[in-house]
Amino acid sequence: MNKTIRTRTWILLFAVLLMASLAMTAWIMRRKAPGTTACIYSDGVLIRTVDLNSVTESFEFSVISERGENRIRVEPGRICVVDADCRDQICVKKGWLSESATPIVCLPHRLVIRLEAGSADVDAVSR
Amino acid sequence: MKRNRLTRGALLTAAALTIFLVEMMIPPIVPIPGVKLGLANIITLVAMMLIGPVDTLLILLARILLGGMFSGQIMSILYSFSGGILCYLTMLLLRKHIALSQIWAMSIVGAIAHNIGQIAMAILVTRTWELILYLPVLMVSGILTGLFTGLAAQAAAVKLKGKL
Repeated sequence: MNKTIRTRTWILLFAVLLMASLAMTAWIMRRKAPGTTACIYSDGVLIRTVDLNSVTESFEFSVISERGENRIRVEPGRICVVDADCRDQICVKKGWLSESATPIVCLPHRLVIRLEAGSADVDAVSR
Repeated sequence: MKRNRLTRGALLTAAALTIFLVEMMIPPIVPIPGVKLGLANIITLVAMMLIGPVDTLLILLARILLGGMFSGQIMSILYSFSGGILCYLTMLLLRKHIALSQIWAMSIVGAIAHNIGQIAMAILVTRTWELILYLPVLMVSGILTGLFTGLAAQAAAVKLKGKL
């Protein structure tokens, strides 16, 4: 069972995989979130929700955990992380989230912001 | 013989750690968690092809643990570990079916496995299944970065063959 796989097979496999992944990526990028309620999770626990559509004035707040701090900014219709004391700054570079299904993630701080369909109960922040 | 083996392992671990820490200083180019070159995998690939699975595993584990400690990112050990082990397992399976001139292919498969392992761990940790939406992008990046590090490892392995 020491047969070597042919180089041609490898190239074909990777080409197909690359094409499929690119197509999937393009499809996912265009996917819209089910709603406009931004849900902020820290360590998997929902800690705050903001209905982006009912925001009229911009505001900022911080999410602080034992792992670190993320400063979050909310503007009418959109949300982003403006500052974080993590190493990679991926959550900051990700920029604004307004309708995309792909969440903002800060893996070092286990913070996730994603858009969900709004629920009936009104949250204190949006009022 | 035993001392030789220990020295070789230590040398490769030190090389892998150096590469790992230098790469950490490069800021991420794309704002997608998990996208990186993974240059330290060069050492894992070379060790797997030229030395053997046992020593490779030891070098890999030492690099992940020490790398996490030296960089002060204890959390990242978790992600490195799940990715690293999955990557190692696929390389273990492929080892006998790969020629020295095909290390790049093993590297790509390993990079994809690494990204899958990492995202699985991230989903578990954050309990956010939406992270799977990042998988296709990570596949693309895995193929490209895997090819790059694989070719580098191949060049190194050809030069080091019979000398380790």
